[in-house]
Amino acid sequence: MKGCAELALLVVLLAAPTAGNAANSPPPLSIVELMQMLASVESANARFVETRHSALLKAPLVLKGTLTYRRPDRVEKHVLAPYDERIAVDGGRLTFENRTHNRRKTMSVSGAPGLAALIESIRATRAGDLPALQRYYALQVEGHRGQWTLTLKPLDSRTADYVVSLELSGAGARIGRITIEEASGDRSVMEISEQHG
Amino acid sequence: MSMPPRAALAAWLVLVALCSGWLYRNLSIGTDLTVFLPPSTNSAQRMLVSQLRDGVASRLILIALEGEEPPALVQASRELARGLRASGQFGFINDGDLASAVKERELLLAYRYLMSPAVTAERFTVAGLSAALSESLALLASPAGPFIRKILPSDPTGESRHIVEFLVPDTGPEIRDGVWFSRDGTRALLIAETRAAGFDIDGQAMAIKAIRDALQATGATRVRLLLSGPGVFASEARATIQSEAQWLAAAAMGLVMLILFAVYRAPGPMVFSVLPVATGMLAGIAAVSWVFGPVHGITLGFGATLIGEAVDYPSFAYIQAARGERLADTVVRIGPTLRLAVLTTVLGASAMALSSFQGLAQLGLLTIVGVGAAGLVTRWVLPAITPANAVSRKVYAFPIDARGAMTIARRGRWIAAASIVAGLAGVAWHHDRLWDDDLANLSPLSEAAKSLDRTLRAELGAPDFRYLVIARGRDRESALEASEAAGAWLRETVGRGWIAGYDLPSNYLPSRKTQQSRRAALPDATTLARNLDLALRDVPFREGVFAPFLEAVERARTGPLLTIEDLRGSGFELKVNTLLVASEDGWAALAPLRGVSRPTELAAAARAAGHELLDLKTESNHLVNSYRNESLQLIALGLLCIAGLLAWGLRSVVEAARVLAPVLAALILDVAILLSWGHRLSLFNLVALLLVVGIGLNYALFFNRPVADPDEQQRTLLSLVVCGATTLSAFGCLAFSRTPVLHAIGVTVALGAVLSFVMSAVLSTRETRRGAT
Repeated sequence: MKGCAELALLVVLLAAPTAGNAANSPPPLSIVELMQMLASVESANARFVETRHSALLKAPLVLKGTLTYRRPDRVEKHVLAPYDERIAVDGGRLTFENRTHNRRKTMSVSGAPGLAALIESIRATRAGDLPALQRYYALQVEGHRGQWTLTLKPLDSRTADYVVSLELSGAGARIGRITIEEASGDRSVMEISEQHG
Repeated sequence: MSMPPRAALAAWLVLVALCSGWLYRNLSIGTDLTVFLPPSTNSAQRMLVSQLRDGVASRLILIALEGEEPPALVQASRELARGLRASGQFGFINDGDLASAVKERELLLAYRYLMSPAVTAERFTVAGLSAALSESLALLASPAGPFIRKILPSDPTGESRHIVEFLVPDTGPEIRDGVWFSRDGTRALLIAETRAAGFDIDGQAMAIKAIRDALQATGATRVRLLLSGPGVFASEARATIQSEAQWLAAAAMGLVMLILFAVYRAPGPMVFSVLPVATGMLAGIAAVSWVFGPVHGITLGFGATLIGEAVDYPSFAYIQAARGERLADTVVRIGPTLRLAVLTTVLGASAMALSSFQGLAQLGLLTIVGVGAAGLVTRWVLPAITPANAVSRKVYAFPIDARGAMTIARRGRWIAAASIVAGLAGVAWHHDRLWDDDLANLSPLSEAAKSLDRTLRAELGAPDFRYLVIARGRDRESALEASEAAGAWLRETVGRGWIAGYDLPSNYLPSRKTQQSRRAALPDATTLARNLDLALRDVPFREGVFAPFLEAVERARTGPLLTIEDLRGSGFELKVNTLLVASEDGWAALAPLRGVSRPTELAAAARAAGHELLDLKTESNHLVNSYRNESLQLIALGLLCIAGLLAWGLRSVVEAARVLAPVLAALILDVAILLSWGHRLSLFNLVALLLVVGIGLNYALFFNRPVADPDEQQRTLLSLVVCGATTLSAFGCLAFSRTPVLHAIGVTVALGAVLSFVMSAVLSTRETRRGAT
């Protein structure tokens, strides 16, 4: 019996630091908490580097530019290199302007359902707009306040034919990376460095 | 003038047999609108008419689903669209979901190098390809990338994209989860284009039933269905008119029978009273069918109204019969008056029978023959078949002594004069708001239905089909070429912001010339491969990725041109067939315009550029206008003839004036009162006023008829009161109709009958009876 008690003590001693660690590490983050945290941001400016991997391309295409956000529904992605292209969403309107190719088009976001889903993934996450996200995606959140990952899977089967998943990761109220996995096997990774206003 | 009763009876039976026989073998009822249009219209009006009958506009059904949460509506909308496509009754279903337009997408892809307006020789040079490829690269890296990724290897120059941009307006309705929605998100919206033409009311009714069935099949029981569009209106109007006409006719019949029974106190005379008008209707329809062929439905409806005064003839005869007097003697006694009553109507209608509008001419003929036959039956057949004592139980005198009222009435002349002056002043005051020229208002639509249509049309951005640009050609091909030329001009006007968009047949089926020049712009396989290789130096696409592109271009270059046969079964086929129509001198391509914001500038620019712009509303107003002007002239001519006939028949101009004055006064007051109620006069009112003239003249003639003794005066007064009461009940019932046509006729005639009665009592009653009273 003594041996038994010793063993138990050993187990407790060995286990203690682990348990202590668990108690000290931050609690897992819920989707609601994440959304509240993100929603606290009024405006944000960021630089981004986006790498587009595609089987159609000899080498990955790297885009650089800026992202701008004004709560709740203005998002602008401005590609500065290797060409000049601006995609802005303001309310329900989508403006696409490529200065290099001298093209400009405005349309209702809702006019292109797949595109709307992709744009909402960024806008609604940045705005902490849970209902909007849930309209398009099944959500899964991992990690804690200091380091989280939000995975979005399209609900609409037609969008799912093109896009497998989107993964947004960040720290606190900052979004640091967006990865898009496509059904074609292509993927793009956008690294973001945000400054909040 | 005498005819043995048997001969009269035999003649009548032969007439009825002949008419019935003719109608049994030959009667066909037409619903073709064109019968009611003037034959000598210009080509714009002919275009209007053909558009009204079977144009695109007439085939559109606007559908809204509401009453559920948006996800349920999205679901219902998709399933409804699928069900409707499967029903085969529709050429085109659009719920905003491009992905579901499989057939159309396949066509666009297969024929993209022949359909895309962006295809030029420059586009396939090294420079052109290089520009197109770098643009495609940017698109691949954009948020749209995942969605164009699949098609990029076979369409790097984005031709299918260009065609879609060209065909699908940017200004469509809101889209939620891929389905059209109203801005407030409460209604899912769809457009369906029926295969049945707009004038084919049975076909439209079947299409509407298919929509209801398809929605039911989706199992979405809580979703409410709203429908609008010309076909919906037409079939609903028909259903409403049928059901209303049935119970209104039953109510009117009941009231009339009640009045007649109260007077005759026996069923016999009530049955005989129907014979003249029934014979008249039969003979009238047979005559129209004999002369014109198909009898229009409208002729039947209005004809029944116009010969409505014939219902009064037997009442005049039966009620005026003195105690113990044979009916044959009564009709001889009142014969001259009855003859004038019939002849005035026949003469009035003769003017109408001369109309260049076949519809009016049909109405005129029906009235002449119908009223004439009814008069003859009353004069000759009724005495022959009415048993001697059939009317012996009737009321002979007014239950209350009305002579006092008559005396007062005669003293009321100055009141009558004052009210006529007031009426004239009222008409003059409204002279600029007298007529309702809007063809839309001739349609029996409720205001609620109209407002739903406006809302849905605005939400859907559906063309209201008021403005059309017409491009003409000798044959289909040259009309398509003209359509392309008009397209170039229309693009400019869109750029100027005068119109929001347009549709053209050449968008779906480019002319052979254009297709050939696009095909000629495609380089051969070797040249294209070399150009592509050189272009690929500047962009990071992998080599060999675009093999499908090279194959597709070579296929298009060596393949056949796109023809109407290739479009078969797709929505594009119906588009082309409805937008490219055969006209009297060749073919015409029609371009319905959307969102016209500057009609004046547009019209001027169209004239300057040599394009034909048709404003259907203006044209239809012209049409209604010319229709009305002709009707008015004919009515005026009819009245003149009537005045002449009265002067001849009564052997005195003064007498004629005494008879005509109350009728004219009643017309003026009728119109003035309608106007003061905020009505505007339409063709329906005009037809109704013609009946008022007929009825009013009868009243005035009988009031004015010299009578031998107070008893006869009593009987005359009684017969007039009975006739007035039956007319008032019959048309008073009609006035309760929710259908504008029936309501307008009902109100106008009921009001006119009362006014004619009062005015005749006041103005036509003979004062020579002073000694007798």
